[in-house]
Amino acid sequence: MNCKKAGVLISASVDGELSLNEEQEFLLHLSECEECRLEFEDAKKTKMIIKEKIIQFKAPQALIMSIMQLTSLGTKEHEDTLLYE
Amino acid sequence: MDKPDPTRHTKTRTKKESLSREEHQKQLEFQREAIVHLNALYNYALHLTMNPSDAEDLVQETYLKAYRFFNSFERGTNCKAWLFKILKNNYINRFRKNSKEPGKVDYDLIKDFYHSIKDTRSDTSETESDYFHSLLHEEVYQALHSLPEEFREVIQLCDIEGFTYEEIANMVESPIGTVRSRLYRGRKLLRAQLEGYAKKYGFNTNNSQ
Repeated sequence: MNCKKAGVLISASVDGELSLNEEQEFLLHLSECEECRLEFEDAKKTKMIIKEKIIQFKAPQALIMSIMQLTSLGTKEHEDTLLYE
Repeated sequence: MDKPDPTRHTKTRTKKESLSREEHQKQLEFQREAIVHLNALYNYALHLTMNPSDAEDLVQETYLKAYRFFNSFERGTNCKAWLFKILKNNYINRFRKNSKEPGKVDYDLIKDFYHSIKDTRSDTSETESDYFHSLLHEEVYQALHSLPEEFREVIQLCDIEGFTYEEIANMVESPIGTVRSRLYRGRKLLRAQLEGYAKKYGFNTNNSQ
């Protein structure tokens, strides 16, 4: 595998979405190529950045309540999970 | 199940009491499977609409629909993915109809939106000198929103929501290969954006540093 081919696989490899064959060839290439290895590390970092830096908001309590009422049971347990998660 | 209460037989039965056993089961299952994803759906709706009140409407509508069609949810599959797809469809039907330029980015709007609902969550990684860690929430958000929608969408579903390529393919109604290449291209664009911010702070973004 050359760098060009490996470069295309980096993204899917970060997600663990390569086929077994691709994964093996890809890893083999990484073991021989410093540049692609760094590229791979950067790709992993970028994914982490998105995950960490995009703020996840909690749904407003009024919305939770009204949706609980949709299904009318309103079990205490579920409300607690959502509110204090 | 509740036992019949003999003291109550003369009273009018409330709606809740008159629910059939099946309906009751459905409610329980719905709560277990669907309601637990409320926060994730709300966030996705916020990203799509960039407006808290529209987001609430969208989530509300999604749950109404999901409950109504809960029988068509394939048991054992990912309920979160199913709900996301319903929400996305609702969004397209309701909000996208009148939008002429869906790809256009309004940076002021993003900024306002972000400030208006900013969380108090503190950033624990500020001490690291790595340029990635110097990026602000708002900048990452802006970089993500500067991408064409087809790229932004798959990155969001993959990196933030943790869906598999197969689930994403199903949600965006494209082959897995397309999802894969959109992620590849989208991330390239995103990186370029983020490096732009990093350079602003004087970080050296070369691999060879």
